[in-house]
Amino acid sequence: MRRLSRRHTIAGLGAVVVASPMRIRSAKAAEPVTVWWTQGFYEAENKAVIDNLAAWERATGTKVNLTIMNGPDLITKLIAGMQVGDVPDLVHSVTGDRFLVPRAAWDDQLIDVSDVIDSQKAEFHPTSLISSRFYNSKLKKHAFYTVPIKCSTLMEQVWRPLIEEAGFSDADMPKTHDAYFDFFQTVQDKLRAKGKRVYGLGYSMAAKEADSGTLFHHFLVAYGGKDIVLPSGKLNTDDAAVQKAAIMALERLTSPYKKGYVPPGAINWGDVDNNNAFFAKQIVMTPNATISIAVAQMEKGDQYYKQIITQGIPLGNDGKPVPGILAVSPCLIPKGAKNIDAAKDLLKSFIRPDNLNQYLKETRGRFLPVMMSNIKSDPFWQDPADPHRPAAVDTGLIRPTISWWMNYNPAYSAVLSEQTWSQAEANITQKNMTPEQAAEEAVGRIKTIFERFKVV
Amino acid sequence: MSLARRARAKRHIAQVAAAVLGAFLVVWSLVPLYNMVRVALQEKEDVFSSNVIPATPSLHSFWTVFDTSYWLLAKFWMQMSNSFWIGVVVASLTLIIGTLTSFTIGRLRIRQGWMLTNAALMTYVIPMSFLAIPFYGIMGKYGMTDNPLAVIAVEVTFATPYAIFIFQQYGASIPYELDEAARIDGASPPQIFLLIYLPLMAPALVAIGTYALLLSWNEYLYAFLLLSTEGKLTVPVGLGKFLNSDEAPWNYLMAAAIVYAVPPMVIYYAFRRKMSTGLTMGGVKG
Repeated sequence: MRRLSRRHTIAGLGAVVVASPMRIRSAKAAEPVTVWWTQGFYEAENKAVIDNLAAWERATGTKVNLTIMNGPDLITKLIAGMQVGDVPDLVHSVTGDRFLVPRAAWDDQLIDVSDVIDSQKAEFHPTSLISSRFYNSKLKKHAFYTVPIKCSTLMEQVWRPLIEEAGFSDADMPKTHDAYFDFFQTVQDKLRAKGKRVYGLGYSMAAKEADSGTLFHHFLVAYGGKDIVLPSGKLNTDDAAVQKAAIMALERLTSPYKKGYVPPGAINWGDVDNNNAFFAKQIVMTPNATISIAVAQMEKGDQYYKQIITQGIPLGNDGKPVPGILAVSPCLIPKGAKNIDAAKDLLKSFIRPDNLNQYLKETRGRFLPVMMSNIKSDPFWQDPADPHRPAAVDTGLIRPTISWWMNYNPAYSAVLSEQTWSQAEANITQKNMTPEQAAEEAVGRIKTIFERFKVV
Repeated sequence: MSLARRARAKRHIAQVAAAVLGAFLVVWSLVPLYNMVRVALQEKEDVFSSNVIPATPSLHSFWTVFDTSYWLLAKFWMQMSNSFWIGVVVASLTLIIGTLTSFTIGRLRIRQGWMLTNAALMTYVIPMSFLAIPFYGIMGKYGMTDNPLAVIAVEVTFATPYAIFIFQQYGASIPYELDEAARIDGASPPQIFLLIYLPLMAPALVAIGTYALLLSWNEYLYAFLLLSTEGKLTVPVGLGKFLNSDEAPWNYLMAAAIVYAVPPMVIYYAFRRKMSTGLTMGGVKG
């Protein structure tokens, strides 16, 4: 038997030393990536993500353990997981930008994903980038804690057959804010006169989930309250214009309810219930956070192409465009994730413009792209034959947009979670407060919340 | 009016009032159930109609549940089987732990055994939901998240104290002389447990077994928190996914809920007599 020389031994040990990290690295790469994803509103949305992640799995050889769960449940479960340190590697939460990320970033519970953003930074819509930066109170700085993958703004959905039955046409719908919403009260009166049990306005007004908050804040902005929180993170509720806008928004949302132009059950609607009431033709119109109402009916050609109208938000009462509040659905990596490198690799692959566009198209375009190149290069998004997507693109990506205010200060996430403004609506509709009183009480509560979050 | 006639009139009024109250309570209790059935018999476009009786009733929703042709029902039967076997294991473990504990405390008369019984009951002072996060943390530390055994462990933990209490109260009604006679005949404690104690405890076993099964069958919070993979979910968690869709599939949801309610109903009616005996005995002897 040949004896090992010292040189051979050193060379052998060296090879082992060099090979070890490679082995560890390749073993790491083979570790599965656990992904939690918000359930879609229809099967195509789920299928799109399953297919996309399966393709990445095939390309990299890294297994993906995908769990799809409904939106509110995902947030609850992730918060529980972050409390006890048992978290997935990657999460996509549709409403996470408002209800989860701001305070998780504040508490230093998320991984900084600036490197992922940097891989496509030039591609992202500017508002989506602002919407992905959050303040970390431990590090005392803003950073990218989420990667935007899709976005949406408030849209108006209207039943054309109902307005025609009331004796109107599309052209009769006014273009400015107050006149636009008042129009549907007239439609209701006319339909009721014909014996039809229908409500003109499908306002979500419950102190739960996301839709009622989205609607209130759209009204707030339409009446001039967009500076409720300044980019510095300072609360600006003492500003007379903001106060006036809040009172107007509360008044204009609750008056129709009190007068019977909104279904009584609307004060208890979850996010899906205005959609359901719309499908049941219980309401003539409803503001909705995406074009999901129309998209869910895509198989029913008549409904999709002829009966459901999608419109962007109306102009302000002064005739000028009202900026849409862009909600950005993010992906994030919680601290404590076991396979961060693979999760980042997956994200970088996912947000390649062509890949992201393909995914969004497979979801039938319920959400908008966050990359302008998708809009410009793919006719799918602005196809004039489609009655819904171009309107959504125009409102969400072409017209002016603003980000939600929790990007300036995470306190506003707590304001949304506590449903402060929806509670104010309930105070008016259920406890007969005046809009002024309800606004004053809400502002008092908001000030208390902001005291806990000092952005320096 | 004579006294007798007045008393008769009063009795009559009381009977009418009781009948009215009874009728009200019956309607109050049955309306939600009727609504479930009504919605299940409608097509999804009609779910929000104000018709008290479905205009065109159809069993289509039930058929959809059976053939799982709707996307949110694709794994319904797998989830049903998960619910079933989790329920059976929870019931079995609860019975095993409960009977052994009550036998040890009540029949072998271990010292300070009453403390164990009372301590177990003290666990009900804290609501089940308050312990969700601590339990989640414990299961995470043991690497048992997304494992049905974690759900079983939690549910057995919550069912067992009540089981021990009922078994002990019920066991007190079994004469101790039987144990003594068996012991004189040479029976060991395990033999007394298997051949005397368990057969005489049958009504309580049925009651507690059913209770544990139903507790597990209807449990949502822990199953939702501890399980993630689609194929491991239970039906309550699976049905929770319905509350997130634009397609308004309330008819399918109600049909699935009715189908899911059938096994517990069968179990309840099959063991109804024995179950009420068991529960009553526990209460009286307490």
